[in-house]
Amino acid sequence: MIGYVPGHSPLHRAHPYTTLAAAGAVLFAAFAMTEPFTVWLLVLAGAVLAASGGVLRPSARTALLLSLPIWAVLFVIYALLGGEPRVVVGPLSLSAPGIARALVLGGRLTAIVLSFLTALSTTSPHRLVEAMTARGVPFGRTFLLASTLTILPRLRERAAQILEAQQCRGLRLGGSPLARVRALGPLALPLILGALAEVDEQVLALDVRGAAAGVHRTALDPPPDSAVQRALRWGLLALVLAAYAWKFVRMRG
Amino acid sequence: MTACVSLAAVTFTYPGVDRAALSDLSLDVAAGEIVAVAGAAGAGASTLLLVATGLAPRLIGGTLTGSRTIGARRCGIVFARPWTQLTGLCSTVRDEVAFGPASYGRPREEVLAAAARALEQLGIAHLAARDPAHLSGGELQRVVVAAALALEPDLLALDDPAAELDPDAADALYAMLPALGRAGTAILIATPDLERVGEVATRALALDRGRIVRDGAPAVVLA
Repeated sequence: MIGYVPGHSPLHRAHPYTTLAAAGAVLFAAFAMTEPFTVWLLVLAGAVLAASGGVLRPSARTALLLSLPIWAVLFVIYALLGGEPRVVVGPLSLSAPGIARALVLGGRLTAIVLSFLTALSTTSPHRLVEAMTARGVPFGRTFLLASTLTILPRLRERAAQILEAQQCRGLRLGGSPLARVRALGPLALPLILGALAEVDEQVLALDVRGAAAGVHRTALDPPPDSAVQRALRWGLLALVLAAYAWKFVRMRG
Repeated sequence: MTACVSLAAVTFTYPGVDRAALSDLSLDVAAGEIVAVAGAAGAGASTLLLVATGLAPRLIGGTLTGSRTIGARRCGIVFARPWTQLTGLCSTVRDEVAFGPASYGRPREEVLAAAARALEQLGIAHLAARDPAHLSGGELQRVVVAAALALEPDLLALDDPAAELDPDAADALYAMLPALGRAGTAILIATPDLERVGEVATRALALDRGRIVRDGAPAVVLA
């Protein structure tokens, strides 16, 4: 699950900048945290954020799916192959500092992925465009960001259509792993070529509709912002700066 | 009458192609004219629309020789595949249709009024609150035509605009064009639907390998 999921949660209703600021704060704070405990507190914060958006289960599932392979690599590199002292866990002899390092790196990754999946799930691209338009952000930048946020759901939808069409023509998806890999060809090629061909027409259509007019676009329904939300965004910035200050003080100490 | 677009001895070649898509083509389209452009596949009808609206070679590359004057302040274009013309940024049909006028920085009330008029003209005001991503091909085609009309263009280029429409919707689309022409919009339509376009066009061109081979009354040229 990667992409916007309509809803009415506080995160869905929040100004898009607030949601993105929360995800951004988790990203920057993650690199200021150096202890497993604090990093996993951040993962917990990411989970609370997802829960407040009503997307905890799908976001956590996707975050785990994306993080697990990295965790496995971190475990091997740091916990199995790390230095002394070592602790014995069942049949395994593991590096104690390696376990801590793996927990920090894995936790950072999980917190970042979880918070950004939550932001993607709860930030309507349309509201984001309206918010950026109201702030006078040039359309090119707005389009770039919004297209990036929507590209995966659009490709997924298109892939499903191509898959249906190819199955109607006899494509079989089951069988051995090799057969499954072979089946990717009839799916991937039309997906990529079709997307490229359609981009041409979309560029023309957008240009004619003034996307490159170079004037300040009119925002039709800019999402409401409030003093509380602005204060919250400044507060998040302050927290991130405080986290880095704390890290700097500890490094000096 | 004022020429919305004037082409004199225009030759256009797509990038990486030897053969010209338009060859030594001369054409004046006046305000209010409805010009049907007919021709077999590859005759250059779609290319003529791209050149007349100024999109070729500016956005698609290639080389253009000869003289081209676009008098229209604003051009609209509609392609046969409506799903490629959505912005992908709008969650409602109203916002999709309003995208063009909003892009030109017109005041919000004007933008919404232009969108409402265009939706009304296409008979799709009831779709205003729907998500464009969940519309049928025919509904979507009418949305993209409405989006072009909301720009209030002086020159409207329609490339097989009824390709996704059922017969009734296609009739309704063509029936709307004379009123646009009377309001001063010049319209260029490339379509294989010669019967419908013949009923509304004020002039017709037949193209063959990038050249105009006939130009005159629709009843004569399209016969």
